[in-house]
Amino acid sequence: MTNILKHFKLNNRIFQKKTVFIILILLFTHVLPSFAFEPVDHLQVHGFISQGYIITSDNKFCGNSDNNGSFDFREIGLNASYRPIPSLQISAQALSRFAGENDDGSIRLDYGFMDYSVMDNDSCQWGVRLGRVKTPFGLYNETRDVAVTRPSVFLPQSIYFDRTRDLALSGDGLYLYGEYRTDLGNLFLKLGSGKPRVKDREVENSLLGRNFPGNLDGNISYNGQLLYEKDGGLIRLAFTWAQLNMDYDSSALPPFDIDSGSIKFEPYVFSAQINEERWSLTGEYALRRLKYDDFSYPGIINRVIKGESCYIQGTYNFFEDWQGFVRYDILYSNKDDRNGKKAERPGHPAHSFFAKDLTFGLRWNITESHMLRGEYHYVNGTAWLTSEDNTDRSKTKPYWNMFSILIAYYF
Amino acid sequence: MGHITTSKTKPFKPIILSCFCMVMLALSLIISLKECKAQVIIGNSSITEDCISKNTLSAIFGMRLHTWPDGTSIKVFVLQDKHPLHIKFAKRRLNIFPHQLRWCWDRLVFSGTGQAPTELSSEDEMRKKVASVPGAIGYLEGPVNDKHIKTFQIK
Repeated sequence: MTNILKHFKLNNRIFQKKTVFIILILLFTHVLPSFAFEPVDHLQVHGFISQGYIITSDNKFCGNSDNNGSFDFREIGLNASYRPIPSLQISAQALSRFAGENDDGSIRLDYGFMDYSVMDNDSCQWGVRLGRVKTPFGLYNETRDVAVTRPSVFLPQSIYFDRTRDLALSGDGLYLYGEYRTDLGNLFLKLGSGKPRVKDREVENSLLGRNFPGNLDGNISYNGQLLYEKDGGLIRLAFTWAQLNMDYDSSALPPFDIDSGSIKFEPYVFSAQINEERWSLTGEYALRRLKYDDFSYPGIINRVIKGESCYIQGTYNFFEDWQGFVRYDILYSNKDDRNGKKAERPGHPAHSFFAKDLTFGLRWNITESHMLRGEYHYVNGTAWLTSEDNTDRSKTKPYWNMFSILIAYYF
Repeated sequence: MGHITTSKTKPFKPIILSCFCMVMLALSLIISLKECKAQVIIGNSSITEDCISKNTLSAIFGMRLHTWPDGTSIKVFVLQDKHPLHIKFAKRRLNIFPHQLRWCWDRLVFSGTGQAPTELSSEDEMRKKVASVPGAIGYLEGPVNDKHIKTFQIK
């Protein structure tokens, strides 16, 4: 026992300090008001802070989770929005996220844009957004780093994989949005064009197999979402489409680098949700088309890969502030090779091409602005694990368990 | 033996049952009448509108409609999530559960696409705020008698 404690202290010394600091902040927040901060008229300030603890039986998720657990999962955000006139809103959010080797906590602009509504009346609304805007993708992407808006500690990784999160996160560009209100429900349309943020080595790891010397850059990309909502969310149906274009520019001649090439990533997501007073049922299905062009490296041949993801999730509020959920989540990197047998090669075991995750979890709303969560995952496959945390994929285990706890404060 | 027992008790059962049903019906009628009277949607007297559709009301409290038809800014006031009046208002007037409404606001607030309504802690504060802020909208349990406050009709 003493040995374990010693080991634990050594491994987590740095994180422990930070964790204690975060927990102190969380305790301090108890005396703060739960509602938004409105220093002057039409200006609102909101924020969130969350700290997680993750322990896995094998494999690494958010740091050294298989070695007595990891505290290296933390999200801190602060945003401000100002509406000087009813038709114009300016918003920005700063975000710092720690997640193992995948995210180092550096502060960045999560979104920052100007929203102008050209038309706003009781039956419809049309407007434009200019700047860095969160990408509408499925039901949860726009607020994926805000623990309180998620159904669980971690979003279903088949669709919202954190591995290549930067791709789907937000884009810099111009977006159009519209809302049509009828007695039968409301229709929302969002269309956007901008440059995705791909400057992340894990995006390269995931799309090219490893981090090459050259640069993978985002090109003009497009996305759109059509959402139908009845009674403010009793029923929600959505279809999302995106086309993400990326170019790889080599920085050296072969064999030191690969030739320049381009990648087109096209996901289609179908989402459905029913929200009743005590229970809700959610299902999402995604088909992901990945096209490689102009590459001539032996490992990256020009081809089209079709990936497939889906999950089904049920939640139940058994007391006023207690909620339980169960979810089954499946990811196939290639739907024509579901067990990964064709793609299997040294350093890339078959189980790194799929993941099936059964999750059970609990949520407790301690106050109106504090939340505590715990969940257990039983996973077969390692497709959504990062190569940054699991540098040698041949050492990963196909069957593994994960338990996580998360505490959050938001206002 | 069984036959005799049923024939004896038969005439009594329907009477007791119907009496019980009538009492329950009367009770539920009283309760529902009381609930009908409860919750008025109130606004600042500066607003020219007298009548709002259910859809518009949902868009206003969903924080997605920002102006009155005359162009003035809509200022939304609500009570805290667990306030009994807020729960009743959300469920009956907006057809939405309070936690669902909160999720809608959180999605707007944390994606930068909207703002949250201003939360108040009491009905008294609600009355004062709606009376003093131009373009303000809120709700109360019963009718109000204040020249600065108007009551909306819901279509």
